[in-house]
Amino acid sequence: MNATNNEKFTIQINGNECVAFTGETVVEVASRAGIDIPTLCHDPRLEPVGACRVCLVEVEGQRRMQPGCAWKVHPGMVVTTESDRIEKHRTVLYSLYAADHETDGDGVPVETANANQLRQLCDTVTTIPLEPVEAPRAARPGDDNPYIEFNPDLCILCARCTRYCDEVEAVNAITLSGRGSETTIATAGQRSLIDTSCELCGGCIDTCPTGALIEKKAPKNLVQLGSEKIRSTCNFCGVGCQLDLHISNERVVKVTSPEPGETLNDGNLCVKGRFAYDFIHHQDRITEPLIRDENGELQPATWEEAIEATAKGLLKVKERHGADSLGFISSSRCTGEENYLMQKLSRAVFGTNNIHQCAAT
Amino acid sequence: MFGAGAMTNAIDEIRDSEMMFVIGSNTTEAHPIIAMEMKRARQRGAKLVVADPREIWLAEMADIHMQLKPGTDVWLLQAMAHVIITEGLHDQDFIAKHTEGFDDVRAKVASYTPEEAEKVTGVPAEDIRTAARWYATTKHAGIYYTLGITEHTHGTDNVYCLANLVLMTGHLGVRSAGMNPLRGQNNVQGANDAGATPIYYPGYQKVTDNAVREKFEAAWNVPLSPDDGLNLNVMMKEMAAGNMKAVYVMGEDIVISEPNVSKVEKGLNQCEFVVCQEIFHNETTRFADVILPGACFAEKDGVFTNSDRRVQRVRKAVDPPGKARPDWEIICDIARAAGYQMPHYPSSKEVFAEYASLAPKIAGVSYERLEENIQGLQWPCPDPNHPGTPTLHMDGPLIGTAPFQAVDYRPSAELPDNDYPLVLSTGRTLYHYNSATQTRRDAGPVAKQERNFLEIHRGDAKRLGISHGETIRVASRRGVIEAEAWISPRVRRGCVWMPMHFAEQRANLLTNDAGDAVTGTGEYKVCAVRVEKIAEPATV
Repeated sequence: MNATNNEKFTIQINGNECVAFTGETVVEVASRAGIDIPTLCHDPRLEPVGACRVCLVEVEGQRRMQPGCAWKVHPGMVVTTESDRIEKHRTVLYSLYAADHETDGDGVPVETANANQLRQLCDTVTTIPLEPVEAPRAARPGDDNPYIEFNPDLCILCARCTRYCDEVEAVNAITLSGRGSETTIATAGQRSLIDTSCELCGGCIDTCPTGALIEKKAPKNLVQLGSEKIRSTCNFCGVGCQLDLHISNERVVKVTSPEPGETLNDGNLCVKGRFAYDFIHHQDRITEPLIRDENGELQPATWEEAIEATAKGLLKVKERHGADSLGFISSSRCTGEENYLMQKLSRAVFGTNNIHQCAAT
Repeated sequence: MFGAGAMTNAIDEIRDSEMMFVIGSNTTEAHPIIAMEMKRARQRGAKLVVADPREIWLAEMADIHMQLKPGTDVWLLQAMAHVIITEGLHDQDFIAKHTEGFDDVRAKVASYTPEEAEKVTGVPAEDIRTAARWYATTKHAGIYYTLGITEHTHGTDNVYCLANLVLMTGHLGVRSAGMNPLRGQNNVQGANDAGATPIYYPGYQKVTDNAVREKFEAAWNVPLSPDDGLNLNVMMKEMAAGNMKAVYVMGEDIVISEPNVSKVEKGLNQCEFVVCQEIFHNETTRFADVILPGACFAEKDGVFTNSDRRVQRVRKAVDPPGKARPDWEIICDIARAAGYQMPHYPSSKEVFAEYASLAPKIAGVSYERLEENIQGLQWPCPDPNHPGTPTLHMDGPLIGTAPFQAVDYRPSAELPDNDYPLVLSTGRTLYHYNSATQTRRDAGPVAKQERNFLEIHRGDAKRLGISHGETIRVASRRGVIEAEAWISPRVRRGCVWMPMHFAEQRANLLTNDAGDAVTGTGEYKVCAVRVEKIAEPATV
């Protein structure tokens, strides 16, 4: 946390004394105390804007309800997060959002490739059926970027994506544009993201609470399809971002970051970590051992043959020219265990310290 | 540095910086998520000073961009030291308590005045002064650098100069400060930690130390060589000279990534035996006698260690394709076929346990602990109850007292002349990764950058009659390639820049394999080239 958040005091939330620090918001204090305040436009990485009004709470001394994501705490503050008044507010608010949202047969906000938090919120109240809003919000039909898809009918204009693009990634490729019911998420001149300052980090998808932004590469029905998530470490640069590999049908179909605050990448990934996974299942992968024959052609071989050819080939050179005529080039792309074994192979098996990798490249 | 070749501080400390000095690191492209932390610090009011011959994006958001001439880092950094010492901004308590050799550096930098530095580096003296003052007088001020510092024949000197700045200002053992080399690959830190280096056993224990050798001889039950091995740069030269007769290359495309690659190709051609363990065919597998299909990160278990010494798990998510196998299993089989009693490890977990038991720095790390610690464990982590070490040197330098190093400026090995009048630097871009066998198989990176390019100053382009987007020829004493000319406001006049990713137009046919005396790292950042128009066919 920020160095200025050092003064400790308590506030009361729903009758419980909760520990708080200067500069924190109601949502931050409540979250630490395990009290759930629903939010949509809130992302801990972004400056709070209080735009979606989902997190409104009652604060003693305030006539109107206040957004918990933006309201700063002070000592002795008394907050209520569940009451008839709040319940009524949420019911009306969710119903209004649902009326301006693509819904399924039951009038519930639809869910596509990514979870829709509005759908989950609507489940917590009895929504009031309202006349659907006809909002002529523009999509970007000509956007041929290969990764990021925008569906304006699922957008609630919470601006998490545009604020992420500005405040975290700082490229300002997308922005809110238009007025009133025509407001949409746009690029300059509605150009394809490829032709803007967008770096295809996909953070906009990750922060979108309703699935209005989704990965083009992932199956459209991934939520229904279900997928297994395997936590791993990115294989590109040296930052060490944590990834969740989404597995469906024995294939990696999507990559996401763990939640903000959970791991060192704080919910963020770059274009390579999030999207450049097609190589895993690419047809060009080498799928069988190969040995070069006397004509110089590579021929498929069994593992036994390839292992024996390798061991014999290296031993033969060692016998003829000595152990230090061998060089072992390990890999800074492979695991620690593999590097350990490669240097053991070089030193213990073949007797040379000629073992290195691209340490400085 | 100071006893550990890694970032002294943790990545998540960057956001609380008050000042960042970024030199020789195009962070937004090479380490995008670390750059996000820098952007966050910037938004919270931290000062940012960037030193780079190119106007990289980070330079655009910096308070000061010191656009130095390539290869003049020693002058720039010694001039900063000069300012700090002459203005009395150095931390005398820290120097007395934790360092030795300060007087040598004080004497050495006396002649490196900012005004003289301006003549050599092209950076205004006043900028050097301001940057030095900010750095010396800001508590949470960190240095961040990458290969722009190390890929020089004087790379070690550059690093010494940075270390001198850290030591004379006491920026060590302080949060959001320190000396932070950002490592290039996912596991370059881990590969070094694990002993894939010619001079160290796992955990940076010296090959030439008898007690260490005896420990490993006992553990592995075999006599071991007492002599340092050859680093990669020297191996490549020995191969070209005909002295290295066989190579086993795992997961690296040396014919793209090493400097002066035509020499590497000559060496591979001469080799009696070449083994490649790979996931894709690449430029190096063309020379292989045997190709062993390995597994990518999503197909095996293990650990990667990142730039801030953080050991984190890699977990198998899918099976390798066809008959491909996890690389660690392949290595074990080869060891057995060569007659060595390699243990039958049931999984990578047991391999890690053996490695950790021999490397005190990570002895406290285990797969069990990594399950509980989802943020990983940062070494040193010497025992199972140790929480790991986010910030190094909190109780003073690990090695007792840290030595200052007085160095002299030496020009780069190959300077421009009449025949080759431009300075070429090479590097990475955001969209591709190294030899790009992975990223060129994905639509986004290809849509953003499909082919090789050369950034050139508009003045140089005009003089040569070259227009933006034109295919031109780039030649050095070692090779010739073609590329698309990009007239770019990012480069200095007289300098050009090219990415290293493209197999069909390899930048490393041009680069100089002159290596740093200590590390052997090639001079990827400075070589002399000539740019030419490709003669158009005569129209009749």
